[in-house]
Amino acid sequence: MEVTLLIQAADESFRLLEKARGQAVDLLNTAVKLTSDTRSVEERKLQTFLSSGQDAKSGFQNFIATFVMLFAFWALLSGKFDLFHLSLGFICTFVISYLSHDLLFANVRVGDIRVIIQRFIIYMPWLMYQIITANVHVAYLALSPKMPIDPQVMRFKTKLESDISWVTLANSITLTPGTITMDIHEGEFVVHALSQKVADDLDTGEMEDRVAHVFMEADHIYIQDVLDVARIFGEMRRAA
Amino acid sequence: MIFRKDDIIVNTISRILIPFIQLYALYVIMHGHYSPGGGFQGGVILGASMVLLLLTRGYDEAKYKFPEQIATLFSSVGVLIYAGIGLLCLFVLGNFLDYGKLAALLNVTPSHARSLGILGVEIGVGFAVMSVMYSIFLDISTGGVLPEDEEE
Repeated sequence: MEVTLLIQAADESFRLLEKARGQAVDLLNTAVKLTSDTRSVEERKLQTFLSSGQDAKSGFQNFIATFVMLFAFWALLSGKFDLFHLSLGFICTFVISYLSHDLLFANVRVGDIRVIIQRFIIYMPWLMYQIITANVHVAYLALSPKMPIDPQVMRFKTKLESDISWVTLANSITLTPGTITMDIHEGEFVVHALSQKVADDLDTGEMEDRVAHVFMEADHIYIQDVLDVARIFGEMRRAA
Repeated sequence: MIFRKDDIIVNTISRILIPFIQLYALYVIMHGHYSPGGGFQGGVILGASMVLLLLTRGYDEAKYKFPEQIATLFSSVGVLIYAGIGLLCLFVLGNFLDYGKLAALLNVTPSHARSLGILGVEIGVGFAVMSVMYSIFLDISTGGVLPEDEEE
């Protein structure tokens, strides 16, 4: 009799514990969702704030950056460094930067440009390797008598955010033989693939990950998420 | 009719390329007197970059950067620069476009004056060709009726 009561009591307490645990998990989920919501709102606020402040200041900054890049390009082309040609170059570069200063750096993302260039240079050999392997595959498809092609159009949503990384990914896909980017529509890539193998290669998402790494996307977001969750856990532990 | 199509690849690539195309065009114009190229070629490249801007960014932004009135003005100014330098040579008792005679006026050696004179003429040709290319494209693509004319 006592044993049955004891078992019942134990069952009851376990059920209570389970329920409490479920509630705690729910609470945690809501908390995480709430923080991410507020964070996105804050980010949007910050973005509008930055972009409104940018108009006045970054117009001039863009002008200077464009001027420096274009003047370097001029020196590279001209190769004459006497006063006459350099002053010609100065005037020409000034006119062009005045006309087109809003084109070259239209939307600057958060991210260190030096790191991006460094990572882009590292990305190049990998892309070259991909192009060579895909070339061999397409040559095999073209030369084999059965011609085992399987043309297909695949669509996938990308996790990349900025237009420059979309364009880099799209051009990398097009450069790789066997796949062609047909369109990007609101973050959805429409890609034509020549065979199942190249489609599968693209489906693994390695190229996308590497492009995201090059343009410093995703990594800063995930770190921020982890920090947020850690803070919530700390609050809860203190409350308990 | 010109309208903006939001193809992100073309937009981004042309956004990055247009300043370099324009600077390259000016390089071709400015170095025309001792390397391949010159006023006409450079002007065509510059006009092509304007056309690319018009195609990718739409009429409104191209109008903001380079209005059609300015294009008309520039095409006349280019011819004026060309003819003006030619007539200037007539006034200092030379032939038409006889740059060597400008040496006294510019206070430099005749060979240097020739080089500068050719440069001036090429700048004029570049101006004229660029704006004429642009207005021809604008006229063909709009059928001679600009969007702002239609609104009235």
